[in-house]
Amino acid sequence: MAKRAILSDIRIQTWLLLGPALVIYVVFAVFPMLDVIWLSAFKWNGLDPVKEYVGATNYVDIFTKDPVFWVAFKNTVIWTILSVSIPPMVGLALALGLNQPIFGRNSLRAVYYLPVIIAPIAVATMWRWMYNPFFGLFGQIMTLLGLGAYVPDWLGSRDAALYSAFAAHVWQSVGFSMVLFLAGVQEVNKSLVEAARIDGAGRWGVFRYVTLPALRTTLTIVLVLAIISSLKAFDIVYGLTGGGPAQSTQMLALWAFTQSMQIFDFGRGSAISVVLLAVTLAVVIPYMRWNQKREEAAQ
Amino acid sequence: MTLSPSAFANETVIKPPRDWVLIGLWISLVVVAAIWIAPFVFIVFTSLKSTAQVTTTSAFAPPVDPQFVNYAKAWARGRFDITFVNSAIIAAIKVPLGLFISAMAAYALAKIPMRFGRLILVLILFGTMIPFQVMLAPIFTLVNGLGLIDTYPGVILPYLAFGIPYQVFILYGFFRGIPHELSEAARIDGASHFVTFRRVFLPVSLPVLAALFILDFVATWNEFAMALVLLQDREMWTLPLGLSAFQGQFSRDYGQLNAAIVMTVLPATIVYLIFQRYFVSGLTSGAVKG
Repeated sequence: MAKRAILSDIRIQTWLLLGPALVIYVVFAVFPMLDVIWLSAFKWNGLDPVKEYVGATNYVDIFTKDPVFWVAFKNTVIWTILSVSIPPMVGLALALGLNQPIFGRNSLRAVYYLPVIIAPIAVATMWRWMYNPFFGLFGQIMTLLGLGAYVPDWLGSRDAALYSAFAAHVWQSVGFSMVLFLAGVQEVNKSLVEAARIDGAGRWGVFRYVTLPALRTTLTIVLVLAIISSLKAFDIVYGLTGGGPAQSTQMLALWAFTQSMQIFDFGRGSAISVVLLAVTLAVVIPYMRWNQKREEAAQ
Repeated sequence: MTLSPSAFANETVIKPPRDWVLIGLWISLVVVAAIWIAPFVFIVFTSLKSTAQVTTTSAFAPPVDPQFVNYAKAWARGRFDITFVNSAIIAAIKVPLGLFISAMAAYALAKIPMRFGRLILVLILFGTMIPFQVMLAPIFTLVNGLGLIDTYPGVILPYLAFGIPYQVFILYGFFRGIPHELSEAARIDGASHFVTFRRVFLPVSLPVLAALFILDFVATWNEFAMALVLLQDREMWTLPLGLSAFQGQFSRDYGQLNAAIVMTVLPATIVYLIFQRYFVSGLTSGAVKG
């Protein structure tokens, strides 16, 4: 009897410790993830007590009758491709440079990281002002260089707006990749570097044959995080262009929000979220498997 | 920005005195850093100019006659008194509470053998990778169904839920690394799991908790998308919502708009500058070594 009392006691203790976090997580994170699939099968304005079941109609509609969906899809793909290439490359270059014994490297690291901690919506507001065609920073720089006649309408032109928004994202996110790469670079085996040097490897040789292979894990993590953050890109685009001009900078996450919360078509909005979720899972599940194998190998 | 040999010598005692590659690298890093910091300078300069000065002087010209009144006006027109207090209340409740329940759960998962422990752990770790912000519609529906739209709990509860995975992930890894003897000694002395958690585990994990605290504070302070959906009443708005609305309404009052930007980003910037090293350790301990 006494033993059973203790056992149940430990169970109670376990659930008291684990319970609060688990309940909040399941109710407010896991449940919406399942609910979004459910909602995507209805026609609903978000407030009415009755929802009309429509099966797969919402999916058919977004794929065949909603041209903006494909614009948003294309933009999300472009954004993702740019996100996995440019910020990680710049971040890696900065990390390699700032890993050298140079004067003031801690201050330099702090400068590059500073934009990361600023609210993306504030970054959007800042850059919108810098893109101001009349008094903004970029226009003035071009005028100074004698290119005043060629100042583009950074955010107002359909061709330029997406890339203008992406430039703001690069400024904000490079520091994040840099910090992850710095941690990776510092883990590189120093005796291997020394051995390569003694064998006559130059700077490029050390980088190519010692540092880069050692950074493979970090590289994978940086790229996966970049993909996930591209799929949820919202604040910067919302603040800079709101998806315009003429939906030319629309993104999937923003379009899901617009459908639900502004057009009040919760079914379509949810269907777009489900598409995003499916793409995310296609990246996350292989990554988690890979991670697990790596951990098992380490043990 | 010339390179002073004396300053350079401070750090590179072992290296040969003049490594031209390093000097070139240093110059390029400084130049790029100057470009990186230029937007901040431009914003602060504009925030201190009147509209007339903005339209007539160069973007690079420092304000001659600083218009501090821009800050006072932006504070009043942007209703910063309300948004600032709302942001502060939400962060002050969410951040410590979230860390506490995450630490408890991480302890239970790491140190108490249980039947579905592995499964629960995977379920929670899964959450570190899912961008829940893309599901704003069901979150709105849920919070609305509970009657919590435009309330503090209505936004704090989802924030807690989305913060839990990463924090449990980091703390679980940390608690696993704590030697068994330490917890067993306490347990043999008859201490319950609560006491062991509070007296043994919490104190030794203070540095990790500090790092997570700072990261989470900044993330909570900056969150925009969910607040946009869950807080519709002006009286409940947080700072990012206030800034976004200010931009919509007063985008032609350049000085005041930039003053509003400075006031929004300043708290997170100060926190960052004070606690810099915790940021880096908090980020990298999870992402790279995990």
